[in-house]
Amino acid sequence: MQRKIGRRKSLAQRLSENKKVQAAATIILPLLLGILIFALWQGQILQAMFHTDTFTLPVPTKIAALMHDNIGKVLVNTRDTVVVALIGLIAGSLLGYGAAILASMFPNLGKGGLSIVGAFASIPVVALAPVMNNWTRSVSSTASTRSTVAKILVVMLIAAADMGLNAYRGLTELKPFAKDLMATYAAPKRMVFLKLQLPNSVPYIFTALKVSVPASIMTAIVSEYFAEYITGVGRQIRENIVLAQYATAWVYITAACIIGLVAYVILMLVQSLVMRRYH
Amino acid sequence: MKKKYLSLTTKKWFQILFWAVIVIAAWEIGATVVAMTKRTPENILPHLYQVLAAAISTKAVSGGMTATQVVFTSASATLLRALGGFAIGASLGFLLALLMKLSGVVEKLIFPYLMLIQLIPVLGLAPIILAITGDINRSRLVIAAILSFYPVAANTLAGFKSVAKEKYDLMYTYAAKKRQLYTKVLIPSAVPYLFTGLKIAAPMAITASILVDTLQGDGGLGCMLSQSLKHAMNIYVFWLIVFFSAFIGIFSTQLISLIEILVSPQKRSASWIGRIAGKEKIYGRDAEKNRTQKEPGAETL
Repeated sequence: MQRKIGRRKSLAQRLSENKKVQAAATIILPLLLGILIFALWQGQILQAMFHTDTFTLPVPTKIAALMHDNIGKVLVNTRDTVVVALIGLIAGSLLGYGAAILASMFPNLGKGGLSIVGAFASIPVVALAPVMNNWTRSVSSTASTRSTVAKILVVMLIAAADMGLNAYRGLTELKPFAKDLMATYAAPKRMVFLKLQLPNSVPYIFTALKVSVPASIMTAIVSEYFAEYITGVGRQIRENIVLAQYATAWVYITAACIIGLVAYVILMLVQSLVMRRYH
Repeated sequence: MKKKYLSLTTKKWFQILFWAVIVIAAWEIGATVVAMTKRTPENILPHLYQVLAAAISTKAVSGGMTATQVVFTSASATLLRALGGFAIGASLGFLLALLMKLSGVVEKLIFPYLMLIQLIPVLGLAPIILAITGDINRSRLVIAAILSFYPVAANTLAGFKSVAKEKYDLMYTYAAKKRQLYTKVLIPSAVPYLFTGLKIAAPMAITASILVDTLQGDGGLGCMLSQSLKHAMNIYVFWLIVFFSAFIGIFSTQLISLIEILVSPQKRSASWIGRIAGKEKIYGRDAEKNRTQKEPGAETL
Protein backbone atom coordinates (compact mmCIF):
# COMPACT_ATOMS: atom_id res chain seq x y z
CA MET A 1 0.00 0.00 0.00
CA GLN A 2 2.65 2.47 1.07
CA ARG A 3 4.98 1.81 -1.84
CA LYS A 4 5.97 4.36 -4.50
CA ILE A 5 3.66 4.55 -7.46
CA GLY A 6 5.01 2.82 -10.49
CA ARG A 7 7.39 0.39 -8.89
CA ARG A 8 6.60 -3.21 -9.66
CA LYS A 9 5.63 -5.38 -6.73
CA SER A 10 7.98 -8.21 -5.89
CA LEU A 11 6.69 -11.74 -6.22
CA ALA A 12 6.57 -12.26 -2.44
CA GLN A 13 4.56 -9.06 -2.00
CA ARG A 14 2.14 -10.04 -4.73
CA LEU A 15 1.61 -13.44 -3.16
CA SER A 16 0.99 -11.99 0.27
CA GLU A 17 -1.58 -9.53 -1.09
CA ASN A 18 -3.48 -12.07 -3.15
CA LYS A 19 -6.52 -13.22 -1.18
CA LYS A 20 -6.92 -16.46 -3.10
CA VAL A 21 -3.31 -17.46 -2.53
CA GLN A 22 -3.63 -16.69 1.18
CA ALA A 23 -6.82 -18.72 1.51
CA ALA A 24 -5.21 -21.65 -0.27
CA ALA A 25 -2.10 -21.36 1.91
CA THR A 26 -4.25 -21.65 5.06
CA ILE A 27 -5.21 -25.14 3.94
CA ILE A 28 -2.16 -26.26 1.98
CA LEU A 29 0.58 -25.33 4.46
CA PRO A 30 -0.77 -27.31 7.45
CA LEU A 31 -1.59 -30.17 5.10
CA LEU A 32 2.00 -30.24 3.90
CA LEU A 33 3.26 -30.26 7.48
CA GLY A 34 0.89 -33.13 8.25
CA ILE A 35 2.12 -35.12 5.26
CA LEU A 36 5.71 -34.43 6.29
CA ILE A 37 5.11 -35.69 9.84
CA PHE A 38 3.27 -38.73 8.49
CA ALA A 39 6.13 -39.51 6.09
CA LEU A 40 8.73 -39.12 8.84
CA TRP A 41 6.70 -41.39 11.09
CA GLN A 42 6.02 -44.02 8.47
CA GLY A 43 9.63 -43.85 7.25
CA GLN A 44 10.81 -44.50 10.82
CA ILE A 45 12.78 -41.26 10.91
CA LEU A 46 10.63 -39.92 13.75
CA GLN A 47 11.56 -42.98 15.79
CA ALA A 48 15.24 -42.28 15.20
CA MET A 49 14.74 -38.65 16.24
CA PHE A 50 13.19 -39.68 19.58
CA HIS A 51 15.80 -42.44 20.06
CA THR A 52 13.15 -45.12 20.16
CA ASP A 53 12.03 -48.01 17.96
CA THR A 54 8.96 -49.21 16.07
CA PHE A 55 8.08 -51.33 19.08
CA THR A 56 7.29 -48.30 21.29
CA LEU A 57 6.29 -46.01 18.44
CA PRO A 58 4.74 -48.18 15.70
CA VAL A 59 4.22 -46.81 12.20
CA PRO A 60 0.74 -45.38 11.46
CA THR A 61 -0.25 -48.15 9.04
CA LYS A 62 0.39 -50.76 11.71
CA ILE A 63 -1.72 -48.85 14.23
CA ALA A 64 -4.52 -48.60 11.67
CA ALA A 65 -4.33 -52.33 10.91
CA LEU A 66 -4.39 -53.22 14.61
CA MET A 67 -7.34 -50.91 15.16
CA HIS A 68 -9.19 -52.65 12.35
CA ASP A 69 -8.50 -56.06 13.92
CA ASN A 70 -9.62 -55.05 17.42
CA ILE A 71 -12.43 -52.74 16.42
CA GLY A 72 -15.03 -54.46 18.64
CA LYS A 73 -13.01 -54.06 21.81
CA VAL A 74 -11.99 -50.53 20.95
CA LEU A 75 -15.62 -49.54 20.42
CA VAL A 76 -16.71 -50.97 23.79
CA ASN A 77 -13.99 -49.01 25.62
CA THR A 78 -14.71 -45.88 23.60
CA ARG A 79 -18.37 -46.17 24.52
CA ASP A 80 -17.53 -46.45 28.22
CA THR A 81 -15.36 -43.33 28.12
CA VAL A 82 -17.82 -41.33 26.04
CA VAL A 83 -20.74 -42.26 28.30
CA VAL A 84 -18.85 -41.04 31.38
CA ALA A 85 -17.67 -37.83 29.71
CA LEU A 86 -21.07 -37.06 28.18
CA ILE A 87 -23.24 -37.71 31.24
CA GLY A 88 -20.77 -35.87 33.44
CA LEU A 89 -20.64 -32.96 31.02
CA ILE A 90 -24.42 -32.64 30.70
CA ALA A 91 -25.15 -33.07 34.41
CA GLY A 92 -22.29 -30.79 35.38
CA SER A 93 -23.26 -28.09 32.90
CA LEU A 94 -26.89 -28.13 34.08
CA LEU A 95 -25.73 -27.98 37.68
CA GLY A 96 -23.35 -25.15 36.88
CA TYR A 97 -26.04 -23.23 35.04
CA GLY A 98 -28.45 -23.73 37.93
CA ALA A 99 -25.82 -22.46 40.34
CA ALA A 100 -25.26 -19.44 38.08
CA ILE A 101 -29.00 -18.66 38.11
CA LEU A 102 -29.05 -18.87 41.90
CA ALA A 103 -25.95 -16.70 42.10
CA SER A 104 -27.46 -14.10 39.77
CA MET A 105 -30.54 -13.93 42.02
CA PHE A 106 -28.40 -13.33 45.12
CA PRO A 107 -25.38 -11.64 43.58
CA ASN A 108 -23.71 -10.60 46.83
CA LEU A 109 -23.18 -14.04 48.29
CA GLY A 110 -23.55 -15.89 45.01
CA LYS A 111 -20.41 -14.45 43.49
CA GLY A 112 -18.35 -15.69 46.41
CA GLY A 113 -20.01 -19.09 46.11
CA LEU A 114 -19.10 -19.33 42.45
CA SER A 115 -15.49 -18.53 43.16
CA ILE A 116 -15.56 -21.39 45.69
CA VAL A 117 -16.80 -23.67 42.90
CA GLY A 118 -14.00 -22.34 40.69
CA ALA A 119 -11.51 -23.15 43.42
CA PHE A 120 -12.83 -26.72 43.57
CA ALA A 121 -12.21 -27.05 39.86
CA SER A 122 -8.52 -26.27 40.26
CA ILE A 123 -8.14 -29.24 42.61
CA PRO A 124 -6.09 -31.76 40.62
CA VAL A 125 -8.20 -34.56 39.14
CA VAL A 126 -5.62 -36.96 40.52
CA ALA A 127 -6.70 -36.03 44.05
CA LEU A 128 -10.42 -35.90 43.29
CA ALA A 129 -10.73 -39.27 41.59
CA PRO A 130 -9.68 -41.47 44.54
CA VAL A 131 -11.88 -39.47 46.93
CA MET A 132 -14.89 -40.00 44.68
CA ASN A 133 -14.04 -43.70 44.48
CA ASN A 134 -14.21 -43.91 48.25
CA TRP A 135 -17.44 -41.95 48.47
CA THR A 136 -19.27 -44.06 45.92
CA ARG A 137 -18.26 -47.39 47.42
CA SER A 138 -21.77 -48.06 48.73
CA VAL A 139 -23.69 -46.83 45.67
CA SER A 140 -23.93 -50.23 44.06
CA SER A 141 -22.71 -53.74 44.68
CA THR A 142 -21.31 -54.13 41.16
CA ALA A 143 -17.87 -52.64 40.56
CA SER A 144 -18.65 -51.39 37.06
CA THR A 145 -21.66 -49.31 38.16
CA ARG A 146 -19.96 -47.70 41.12
CA SER A 147 -16.81 -46.80 39.22
CA THR A 148 -18.93 -45.29 36.45
CA VAL A 149 -20.74 -43.18 39.06
CA ALA A 150 -17.44 -42.10 40.60
CA LYS A 151 -16.00 -41.10 37.22
CA ILE A 152 -19.14 -39.20 36.28
CA LEU A 153 -19.02 -37.27 39.56
CA VAL A 154 -15.45 -36.11 38.91
CA VAL A 155 -16.28 -34.99 35.36
CA MET A 156 -19.41 -33.30 36.68
CA LEU A 157 -17.51 -31.15 39.15
CA ILE A 158 -15.07 -29.93 36.48
CA ALA A 159 -17.84 -29.19 33.96
CA ALA A 160 -20.00 -27.47 36.60
CA ALA A 161 -17.24 -25.07 37.56
CA ASP A 162 -16.59 -24.00 33.97
CA MET A 163 -20.27 -23.56 33.23
CA GLY A 164 -21.08 -21.80 36.51
CA LEU A 165 -18.44 -19.11 36.13
CA ASN A 166 -19.20 -18.39 32.47
CA ALA A 167 -23.00 -18.59 32.73
CA TYR A 168 -22.94 -16.16 35.66
CA ARG A 169 -21.23 -13.63 33.42
CA GLY A 170 -23.77 -14.33 30.68
CA LEU A 171 -26.69 -13.82 33.06
CA THR A 172 -25.39 -10.62 34.63
CA GLU A 173 -23.37 -8.79 31.96
CA LEU A 174 -26.39 -7.49 30.08
CA LYS A 175 -26.56 -4.74 27.50
CA PRO A 176 -26.87 -1.29 29.12
CA PHE A 177 -30.45 -0.28 29.92
CA ALA A 178 -31.80 -3.71 28.96
CA LYS A 179 -32.86 -4.27 32.55
CA ASP A 180 -34.37 -0.79 32.74
CA LEU A 181 -36.37 -1.51 29.61
CA MET A 182 -37.69 -4.69 31.20
CA ALA A 183 -38.62 -2.66 34.27
CA THR A 184 -40.60 -0.16 32.19
CA TYR A 185 -42.44 -3.08 30.62
CA ALA A 186 -43.25 -4.17 34.20
CA ALA A 187 -41.96 -7.59 33.22
CA PRO A 188 -42.10 -10.23 35.95
CA LYS A 189 -38.81 -11.81 37.02
CA ARG A 190 -39.58 -14.98 35.09
CA MET A 191 -40.00 -13.01 31.86
CA VAL A 192 -36.80 -11.03 32.44
CA PHE A 193 -35.00 -14.34 32.76
CA LEU A 194 -36.62 -15.99 29.73
CA LYS A 195 -36.51 -13.04 27.33
CA LEU A 196 -33.36 -11.25 28.41
CA GLN A 197 -30.96 -13.22 30.58
CA LEU A 198 -31.31 -16.63 28.95
CA PRO A 199 -30.68 -15.46 25.35
CA ASN A 200 -27.87 -13.22 26.59
CA SER A 201 -26.11 -16.16 28.21
CA VAL A 202 -26.11 -18.41 25.13
CA PRO A 203 -22.72 -17.27 23.73
CA TYR A 204 -21.24 -17.61 27.22
CA ILE A 205 -22.54 -21.18 27.43
CA PHE A 206 -20.57 -22.03 24.33
CA THR A 207 -17.47 -20.33 25.68
CA ALA A 208 -17.77 -22.59 28.71
CA LEU A 209 -18.38 -25.68 26.58
CA LYS A 210 -15.32 -25.00 24.44
CA VAL A 211 -13.24 -25.39 27.58
CA SER A 212 -15.26 -28.07 29.32
CA VAL A 213 -15.74 -30.49 26.40
CA PRO A 214 -12.01 -31.27 26.00
CA ALA A 215 -11.56 -30.99 29.77
CA SER A 216 -14.31 -33.50 30.52
CA ILE A 217 -12.85 -36.02 28.08
CA MET A 218 -9.44 -35.62 29.68
CA THR A 219 -10.95 -35.89 33.16
CA ALA A 220 -12.87 -39.02 32.20
CA ILE A 221 -9.64 -40.58 30.90
CA VAL A 222 -7.60 -39.67 33.97
CA SER A 223 -10.25 -40.80 36.45
CA GLU A 224 -10.31 -44.18 34.67
CA TYR A 225 -6.74 -44.66 35.91
CA PHE A 226 -7.98 -44.70 39.48
CA ALA A 227 -11.28 -46.48 38.94
CA GLU A 228 -11.92 -49.87 40.41
CA TYR A 229 -13.36 -51.41 37.26
CA ILE A 230 -10.97 -51.75 34.32
CA THR A 231 -12.59 -50.19 31.29
CA GLY A 232 -12.36 -47.13 29.09
CA VAL A 233 -9.86 -45.76 26.62
CA GLY A 234 -7.56 -44.19 29.19
CA ARG A 235 -7.36 -47.29 31.33
CA GLN A 236 -6.63 -49.42 28.27
CA ILE A 237 -3.72 -47.16 27.33
CA ARG A 238 -2.23 -47.71 30.76
CA GLU A 239 -2.99 -51.43 31.00
CA ASN A 240 -1.48 -52.14 27.60
CA ILE A 241 1.67 -50.22 28.43
CA VAL A 242 2.06 -52.15 31.68
CA LEU A 243 1.84 -55.31 29.55
CA ALA A 244 4.35 -53.77 27.08
CA GLN A 245 1.72 -53.95 24.31
CA TYR A 246 2.72 -50.57 22.93
CA ALA A 247 1.06 -51.02 19.56
CA THR A 248 -2.32 -51.73 21.22
CA ALA A 249 -1.79 -48.75 23.50
CA TRP A 250 -1.33 -46.59 20.41
CA VAL A 251 -4.64 -47.87 19.05
CA TYR A 252 -6.35 -46.54 22.17
CA ILE A 253 -4.40 -43.27 22.02
CA THR A 254 -5.72 -42.85 18.48
CA ALA A 255 -9.22 -43.59 19.76
CA ALA A 256 -8.82 -40.95 22.48
CA CYS A 257 -7.71 -38.36 19.93
CA ILE A 258 -10.65 -39.24 17.67
CA ILE A 259 -13.08 -38.81 20.59
CA GLY A 260 -11.61 -35.37 21.28
CA LEU A 261 -11.83 -34.30 17.64
CA VAL A 262 -15.34 -35.62 17.01
CA ALA A 263 -16.64 -34.03 20.21
CA TYR A 264 -15.20 -30.68 19.16
CA VAL A 265 -16.62 -30.89 15.64
CA ILE A 266 -20.07 -31.72 17.06
CA LEU A 267 -19.81 -28.79 19.45
CA MET A 268 -18.93 -26.44 16.60
CA LEU A 269 -21.89 -27.69 14.52
CA VAL A 270 -24.32 -27.24 17.43
CA GLN A 271 -22.91 -23.81 18.11
CA SER A 272 -23.37 -22.61 14.54
CA LEU A 273 -26.94 -23.98 14.50
CA VAL A 274 -27.96 -22.42 17.83
CA MET A 275 -26.18 -19.12 17.33
CA ARG A 276 -27.80 -18.63 13.95
CA ARG A 277 -31.16 -18.93 15.61
CA TYR A 278 -30.45 -16.54 18.45
CA HIS A 279 -28.15 -13.96 16.92
CA MET B 1 -30.31 -2.74 61.53
CA LYS B 2 -31.30 -4.91 58.61
CA LYS B 3 -29.51 -2.60 56.25
CA LYS B 4 -26.34 -3.00 58.24
CA TYR B 5 -26.50 -6.78 57.87
CA LEU B 6 -27.19 -6.50 54.16
CA SER B 7 -24.20 -4.26 53.58
CA LEU B 8 -22.15 -6.88 55.35
CA THR B 9 -22.82 -9.35 52.53
CA THR B 10 -21.05 -7.13 50.01
CA LYS B 11 -17.81 -7.28 52.00
CA LYS B 12 -15.25 -9.64 50.54
CA TRP B 13 -14.07 -11.07 53.87
CA PHE B 14 -17.63 -11.80 54.90
CA GLN B 15 -18.31 -13.72 51.68
CA ILE B 16 -15.20 -15.81 52.17
CA LEU B 17 -16.06 -16.46 55.81
CA PHE B 18 -19.67 -17.31 54.95
CA TRP B 19 -18.74 -19.91 52.35
CA ALA B 20 -15.87 -21.31 54.38
CA VAL B 21 -18.28 -21.88 57.28
CA ILE B 22 -20.80 -23.56 54.97
CA VAL B 23 -18.18 -25.84 53.39
CA ILE B 24 -16.72 -26.83 56.76
CA ALA B 25 -20.18 -27.41 58.21
CA ALA B 26 -21.18 -29.59 55.25
CA TRP B 27 -17.97 -31.59 55.56
CA GLU B 28 -18.43 -32.12 59.30
CA ILE B 29 -22.08 -33.14 58.96
CA GLY B 30 -21.04 -35.61 56.27
CA ALA B 31 -18.20 -36.89 58.44
CA THR B 32 -20.53 -37.38 61.42
CA VAL B 33 -23.01 -39.33 59.31
CA VAL B 34 -20.23 -41.44 57.81
CA ALA B 35 -18.70 -42.09 61.25
CA MET B 36 -22.01 -43.48 62.45
CA THR B 37 -22.82 -45.64 59.46
CA LYS B 38 -19.52 -46.90 58.05
CA ARG B 39 -17.01 -49.36 59.45
CA THR B 40 -13.89 -47.46 58.34
CA PRO B 41 -14.93 -43.79 58.29
CA GLU B 42 -11.36 -42.54 57.92
CA ASN B 43 -11.24 -44.01 54.40
CA ILE B 44 -14.35 -42.18 53.28
CA LEU B 45 -14.68 -38.89 55.14
CA PRO B 46 -12.64 -38.26 58.27
CA HIS B 47 -13.38 -35.37 60.60
CA LEU B 48 -11.33 -32.31 59.81
CA TYR B 49 -9.79 -32.33 63.29
CA GLN B 50 -8.58 -35.87 62.66
CA VAL B 51 -6.78 -34.73 59.52
CA LEU B 52 -5.37 -31.78 61.42
CA ALA B 53 -4.23 -34.07 64.21
CA ALA B 54 -2.49 -36.27 61.67
CA ALA B 55 -0.76 -33.22 60.25
CA ILE B 56 0.70 -32.13 63.59
CA SER B 57 1.32 -35.56 65.08
CA THR B 58 4.97 -36.49 65.62
CA LYS B 59 4.44 -40.19 64.99
CA ALA B 60 6.56 -41.55 62.14
CA VAL B 61 4.52 -43.05 59.29
CA SER B 62 7.17 -43.93 56.74
CA GLY B 63 10.95 -44.14 56.85
CA GLY B 64 11.16 -42.31 60.18
CA MET B 65 9.30 -39.26 58.85
CA THR B 66 6.06 -37.83 60.21
CA ALA B 67 3.06 -37.46 57.92
CA THR B 68 3.71 -33.77 57.33
CA GLN B 69 7.35 -34.41 56.52
CA VAL B 70 6.34 -37.10 54.03
CA VAL B 71 3.96 -34.72 52.33
CA PHE B 72 6.44 -31.87 52.18
CA THR B 73 9.42 -33.86 50.91
CA SER B 74 7.35 -35.51 48.19
CA ALA B 75 5.67 -32.21 47.38
CA SER B 76 8.96 -30.43 46.87
CA ALA B 77 10.05 -33.18 44.46
CA THR B 78 6.78 -33.01 42.50
CA LEU B 79 6.50 -29.25 42.45
CA LEU B 80 10.07 -28.67 41.32
CA ARG B 81 9.50 -30.97 38.36
CA ALA B 82 6.16 -29.30 37.61
CA LEU B 83 7.87 -25.91 37.74
CA GLY B 84 10.56 -27.07 35.30
CA GLY B 85 8.01 -28.34 32.79
CA PHE B 86 5.87 -25.26 33.27
CA ALA B 87 8.82 -22.93 32.64
CA ILE B 88 9.87 -24.80 29.50
CA GLY B 89 6.33 -25.06 28.14
CA ALA B 90 5.46 -21.45 28.91
CA SER B 91 8.60 -20.00 27.34
CA LEU B 92 8.24 -22.21 24.26
CA GLY B 93 4.60 -21.15 24.02
CA PHE B 94 5.52 -17.49 24.22
CA LEU B 95 8.29 -17.88 21.64
CA LEU B 96 6.00 -19.74 19.27
CA ALA B 97 3.33 -17.05 19.59
CA LEU B 98 5.99 -14.44 18.81
CA LEU B 99 7.17 -16.45 15.82
CA MET B 100 3.60 -16.84 14.59
CA LYS B 101 3.09 -13.09 14.87
CA LEU B 102 6.36 -12.40 13.04
CA SER B 103 5.65 -14.71 10.13
CA GLY B 104 2.30 -15.37 8.54
CA VAL B 105 3.62 -18.57 6.98
CA VAL B 106 4.55 -20.02 10.37
CA GLU B 107 1.14 -19.05 11.74
CA LYS B 108 -0.70 -20.77 8.92
CA LEU B 109 1.57 -23.79 9.18
CA ILE B 110 1.18 -24.36 12.90
CA PHE B 111 -2.13 -22.88 14.05
CA PRO B 112 -4.33 -25.91 13.21
CA TYR B 113 -1.91 -28.16 15.07
CA LEU B 114 -1.97 -25.82 18.04
CA MET B 115 -5.73 -26.32 18.15
CA LEU B 116 -5.29 -30.07 17.83
CA ILE B 117 -3.04 -30.23 20.91
CA GLN B 118 -5.87 -28.95 23.06
CA LEU B 119 -8.30 -31.56 21.74
CA ILE B 120 -5.94 -34.44 22.37
CA PRO B 121 -6.19 -35.73 25.93
CA VAL B 122 -2.49 -35.20 26.69
CA LEU B 123 -2.68 -36.66 30.19
CA GLY B 124 -3.87 -39.88 28.59
CA LEU B 125 -0.59 -39.97 26.72
CA ALA B 126 1.44 -39.89 29.94
CA PRO B 127 2.21 -43.64 29.98
CA ILE B 128 3.34 -43.73 26.36
CA ILE B 129 5.54 -40.67 26.77
CA LEU B 130 7.11 -42.47 29.70
CA ALA B 131 7.72 -45.45 27.43
CA ILE B 132 9.24 -43.29 24.69
CA THR B 133 11.52 -41.17 26.85
CA GLY B 134 12.29 -44.09 29.14
CA ASP B 135 13.02 -41.71 31.99
CA ILE B 136 10.37 -40.63 34.50
CA ASN B 137 11.83 -37.19 35.08
CA ARG B 138 12.17 -36.39 31.42
CA SER B 139 8.63 -37.57 30.66
CA ARG B 140 7.33 -35.44 33.52
CA LEU B 141 8.99 -32.38 32.01
CA VAL B 142 7.65 -33.21 28.56
CA ILE B 143 4.05 -33.68 29.70
CA ALA B 144 3.98 -30.61 31.93
CA ALA B 145 5.54 -28.64 29.07
CA ILE B 146 2.99 -29.82 26.48
CA LEU B 147 0.11 -29.03 28.81
CA SER B 148 1.30 -25.54 29.69
CA PHE B 149 2.40 -24.84 26.13
CA TYR B 150 -1.04 -24.57 24.57
CA PRO B 151 -2.78 -22.04 26.84
CA VAL B 152 0.26 -19.76 26.88
CA ALA B 153 0.74 -19.85 23.11
CA ALA B 154 -2.95 -19.33 22.29
CA ASN B 155 -3.44 -16.50 24.77
CA THR B 156 -0.24 -14.67 23.88
CA LEU B 157 -1.11 -14.83 20.20
CA ALA B 158 -4.54 -13.39 21.01
CA GLY B 159 -2.73 -10.62 22.90
CA PHE B 160 -0.57 -9.78 19.90
CA LYS B 161 -3.64 -9.69 17.72
CA SER B 162 -5.57 -7.46 20.11
CA VAL B 163 -3.34 -4.46 19.36
CA ALA B 164 -5.46 -1.80 17.68
CA LYS B 165 -4.60 -0.53 14.21
CA GLU B 166 -4.11 3.04 15.48
CA LYS B 167 -1.14 1.91 17.50
CA TYR B 168 0.53 0.48 14.42
CA ASP B 169 -0.20 3.73 12.61
CA LEU B 170 1.28 5.76 15.46
CA MET B 171 4.43 3.67 15.44
CA TYR B 172 4.59 4.10 11.67
CA THR B 173 4.47 7.87 11.98
CA TYR B 174 7.26 7.65 14.57
CA ALA B 175 9.25 5.71 11.94
CA ALA B 176 9.72 2.98 14.56
CA LYS B 177 11.79 -0.02 13.63
CA LYS B 178 10.22 -3.45 13.68
CA ARG B 179 12.16 -4.37 16.80
CA GLN B 180 10.91 -1.26 18.57
CA LEU B 181 7.35 -2.01 17.49
CA TYR B 182 7.65 -5.36 19.24
CA THR B 183 9.44 -4.22 22.40
CA LYS B 184 7.41 -1.04 22.92
CA VAL B 185 3.92 -1.99 21.74
CA LEU B 186 3.25 -5.60 20.95
CA ILE B 187 4.95 -7.41 23.82
CA PRO B 188 3.70 -5.03 26.56
CA SER B 189 0.13 -5.33 25.32
CA ALA B 190 0.40 -9.12 25.18
CA VAL B 191 1.57 -9.37 28.80
CA PRO B 192 -1.93 -9.43 30.41
CA TYR B 193 -2.94 -12.14 27.96
CA LEU B 194 0.25 -14.06 28.68
CA PHE B 195 -0.65 -14.08 32.36
CA THR B 196 -4.16 -15.31 31.61
CA GLY B 197 -2.53 -18.22 29.81
CA LEU B 198 -0.11 -18.83 32.67
CA LYS B 199 -2.99 -18.89 35.17
CA ILE B 200 -4.64 -21.69 33.20
CA ALA B 201 -1.39 -23.55 32.66
CA ALA B 202 -0.08 -23.61 36.24
CA PRO B 203 -2.68 -25.97 37.80
CA MET B 204 -2.47 -28.17 34.70
CA ALA B 205 1.29 -28.55 35.06
CA ILE B 206 0.86 -29.54 38.71
CA THR B 207 -1.87 -32.06 37.87
CA ALA B 208 0.34 -33.53 35.16
CA SER B 209 3.27 -33.84 37.51
CA ILE B 210 1.22 -35.58 40.21
CA LEU B 211 -0.28 -37.94 37.63
CA VAL B 212 3.12 -38.92 36.28
CA ASP B 213 4.20 -39.64 39.88
CA THR B 214 1.58 -42.37 40.10
CA LEU B 215 3.02 -44.18 37.09
CA GLN B 216 6.30 -45.10 38.69
CA GLY B 217 7.34 -45.30 42.31
CA ASP B 218 10.16 -42.86 42.89
CA GLY B 219 8.67 -40.51 45.46
CA GLY B 220 6.54 -37.50 44.75
CA LEU B 221 3.01 -36.63 45.78
CA GLY B 222 1.26 -38.95 43.33
CA CYS B 223 3.37 -41.91 44.40
CA MET B 224 2.62 -41.34 48.10
CA LEU B 225 -1.04 -40.86 47.21
CA SER B 226 -1.37 -44.27 45.62
CA GLN B 227 0.73 -45.92 48.33
CA SER B 228 -1.40 -44.57 51.16
CA LEU B 229 -4.55 -45.52 49.22
CA LYS B 230 -3.28 -49.09 49.15
CA HIS B 231 -2.78 -48.79 52.93
CA ALA B 232 0.98 -49.09 52.60
CA MET B 233 1.03 -46.20 55.05
CA ASN B 234 -1.34 -44.23 57.22
CA ILE B 235 -4.55 -43.31 55.39
CA TYR B 236 -4.37 -39.78 56.77
CA VAL B 237 -1.36 -39.20 54.53
CA PHE B 238 -3.83 -39.61 51.67
CA TRP B 239 -6.10 -36.94 53.08
CA LEU B 240 -3.21 -34.62 53.75
CA ILE B 241 -2.07 -35.00 50.15
CA VAL B 242 -5.59 -34.38 48.86
CA PHE B 243 -5.85 -31.19 50.89
CA PHE B 244 -2.34 -30.12 50.03
CA SER B 245 -2.75 -30.64 46.28
CA ALA B 246 -6.09 -28.83 46.38
CA PHE B 247 -4.41 -25.95 48.16
CA ILE B 248 -1.45 -25.91 45.80
CA GLY B 249 -3.72 -26.01 42.73
CA ILE B 250 -5.60 -22.94 43.95
CA PHE B 251 -2.48 -21.25 45.27
CA SER B 252 -0.60 -21.56 41.97
CA THR B 253 -3.20 -19.41 40.21
CA GLN B 254 -3.11 -16.86 43.03
CA LEU B 255 0.69 -16.78 42.94
CA ILE B 256 0.68 -15.96 39.25
CA SER B 257 -1.85 -13.17 39.81
CA LEU B 258 0.53 -11.80 42.43
CA ILE B 259 3.48 -11.94 40.03
CA GLU B 260 1.34 -10.25 37.41
CA ILE B 261 0.58 -7.40 39.81
CA LEU B 262 4.26 -7.07 40.64
CA VAL B 263 5.44 -6.87 37.04
CA SER B 264 2.72 -4.74 35.49
CA PRO B 265 2.61 -1.13 36.70
CA GLN B 266 -0.98 -0.45 35.66
CA LYS B 267 -2.20 -3.34 37.81
CA ARG B 268 0.09 -2.53 40.71
CA SER B 269 -1.54 0.84 41.19
CA ALA B 270 -4.97 -0.74 41.41
CA SER B 271 -4.10 -3.40 43.92
CA TRP B 272 -3.54 -3.55 47.64
CA ILE B 273 0.18 -4.13 47.17
CA GLY B 274 0.44 -0.82 45.36
CA ARG B 275 -1.54 0.85 48.10
CA ILE B 276 0.86 -0.45 50.72
CA ALA B 277 3.73 0.93 48.69
CA GLY B 278 2.00 4.30 48.72
CA LYS B 279 1.59 4.46 44.97
CA GLU B 280 -2.08 5.25 45.16
CA LYS B 281 -1.59 8.98 45.55
CA ILE B 282 0.27 9.22 42.28
CA TYR B 283 -1.90 6.87 40.28
CA GLY B 284 -5.04 7.45 42.33
CA ARG B 285 -7.13 8.60 39.45
CA ASP B 286 -5.95 5.92 37.07
CA ALA B 287 -6.49 3.26 39.67
CA GLU B 288 -10.24 3.69 39.48
CA LYS B 289 -10.08 3.40 35.73
CA ASN B 290 -7.97 0.28 35.88
CA ARG B 291 -10.31 -1.40 38.26
CA THR B 292 -13.10 -1.26 35.72
CA GLN B 293 -10.79 -2.23 32.88
CA LYS B 294 -11.75 -5.54 31.43
CA GLU B 295 -9.59 -8.52 32.16
CA PRO B 296 -8.71 -10.47 29.03
CA GLY B 297 -10.84 -13.60 28.99
CA ALA B 298 -9.33 -17.02 28.60
CA GLU B 299 -8.59 -17.69 24.97
CA THR B 300 -10.07 -20.86 23.59
CA LEU B 301 -9.63 -21.88 20.00
